[in-house]
Amino acid sequence: MTKLATCAEAVASIPAGASVALSGFATARCAMAFAHEAIRQGIKGLTVSQCVAGIDADILVGAGAVDRIVYGGGSRGRSGQHACLRRSIEDGTLATEEFSSLSTTFRYLAGSLGLPFIPIRSLRGSDILKGLQELDPSPVATVNDPFTGNEWLVLKPLTPDVAVVQVQVADEDGNAWILGPRWDNEEQAKASARTIVFTERLVSTEAIRRAPERTVIPGFRVSHVVHLPFSAHPTSVYKVYDFDAGHIKLYADASKTPEGFQEYLDEYVYGVKNHWGYLELLGGLEYLSSLAADPVLGY
Amino acid sequence: MGLGLPVIATFLAKRTHAPNITIMFELGVIDSEPIKVGVDGLSDPRIWYRAKIHTSFADMLGSVLHKGLVDVGFLGGLEIDPYGNLNTTLLGDPKGKFRRFTGSGGGNDVASNAKRTVVIIRHEARKLNKAVSFMTSPGYLRGNGERERMGLRGGPSRVITDKAVFGFDPVSKRMRLESIHPNATIDDVLSNMNFEPIMPDELPVTAPPTAEQVRLIREEIDPEGMYAG
Repeated sequence: MTKLATCAEAVASIPAGASVALSGFATARCAMAFAHEAIRQGIKGLTVSQCVAGIDADILVGAGAVDRIVYGGGSRGRSGQHACLRRSIEDGTLATEEFSSLSTTFRYLAGSLGLPFIPIRSLRGSDILKGLQELDPSPVATVNDPFTGNEWLVLKPLTPDVAVVQVQVADEDGNAWILGPRWDNEEQAKASARTIVFTERLVSTEAIRRAPERTVIPGFRVSHVVHLPFSAHPTSVYKVYDFDAGHIKLYADASKTPEGFQEYLDEYVYGVKNHWGYLELLGGLEYLSSLAADPVLGY
Repeated sequence: MGLGLPVIATFLAKRTHAPNITIMFELGVIDSEPIKVGVDGLSDPRIWYRAKIHTSFADMLGSVLHKGLVDVGFLGGLEIDPYGNLNTTLLGDPKGKFRRFTGSGGGNDVASNAKRTVVIIRHEARKLNKAVSFMTSPGYLRGNGERERMGLRGGPSRVITDKAVFGFDPVSKRMRLESIHPNATIDDVLSNMNFEPIMPDELPVTAPPTAEQVRLIREEIDPEGMYAG
């Protein structure tokens, strides 16, 4: 069955107020075409979850699409803090459920396995835990291990309405390969009620069948497949293209102030009709070709 | 491990006295051999190059770290207190006005689950503080066995600054000066921190890096000087 959809159709399937797991990690495999289209469609009230914040979360937060973020922290790396996230947390306009990378992963893992809760050794004694205990309802509790009697911290499962996962290769049913490290993507997709796949390459199901060991996201969990080249730009997609350091710097500088960020949105998001318009604005194929990955290096 | 000086130090160890260590990055990269380590961040595919395994958080931080297989975790931070409690989240008043930084990432997980951790931090009074604004990653909490009672594994064994090396008193778990670097004086060390470390009876000078170690860092590991200036 074909699940091929346009980016606009896939985004339109997500109602206001939905909980969305995003596949980005700092400047790698961020769901950027998804984020831009969600901003153009004016989606509001999202709860976004991510182990380590990516630019996809940052731009959605900056555009006012997100009410709550469930995450393990994160920055862009050497190019600095996610400025929109930082601003919204500092001024209190973004509700934050702050965890660590592993505790966020364990919450997805519990969700993917259908478990009622999951014990973890992390977080104990920290101010992160205090913050989570103050939430109402709290996503953390303690139980006694029935075998040893030891007390354990336990986490509530995280089961988003939809996971939006940026991949290298998928077929039209949504069977998808993720090349390179997968961080929390597999658990995100399996914990969520459904998954939207954004793929750089669309291949036949026969091609998937010839290397089934590579399939990380099973098609039966997928509702939409969006085939869109460079849909993670300016972030990297391992073995397909490198991150665009120049554009990330442009975004980093612009997002330092609300005014600069608005100008960025006006030019690169609202100023274009869709992702193809964005790619043309960047400089089209001539510009994008310079980002193509070397097959040995992967970047 | 996190990015920056911990990466330089770990790749140096691998090239010198510890060729058999397994280097792991939280997002799911094991034993990579990057052409250069002065990279943009953990998400920069340059640091994933020639890895033996590309995997996931659940595998890396779960079945390796949480299970208890990580011998040494390497961490950096904004602030550290006398008990090795680390802040990477915010500076200021968490309930009032504050400046937000990165948060935990895998930092809390490494601090809670590794057999021991080593912290690298710049030697400045605002970083070596009586108390941290926000405790992202636990050290020995308030000392005297509180960490063990909390069910946490390991704990910080060394804090390395650009002026000195610190350890921890085996009982009180307060930070203890272990050695000072050849370029620093005791006054230099103590006047640039906001608490008094335990002073040993004898204070050795930190062994300086060998010419070969310096050459490896400057010419091979971080030739562009992105981390090691």
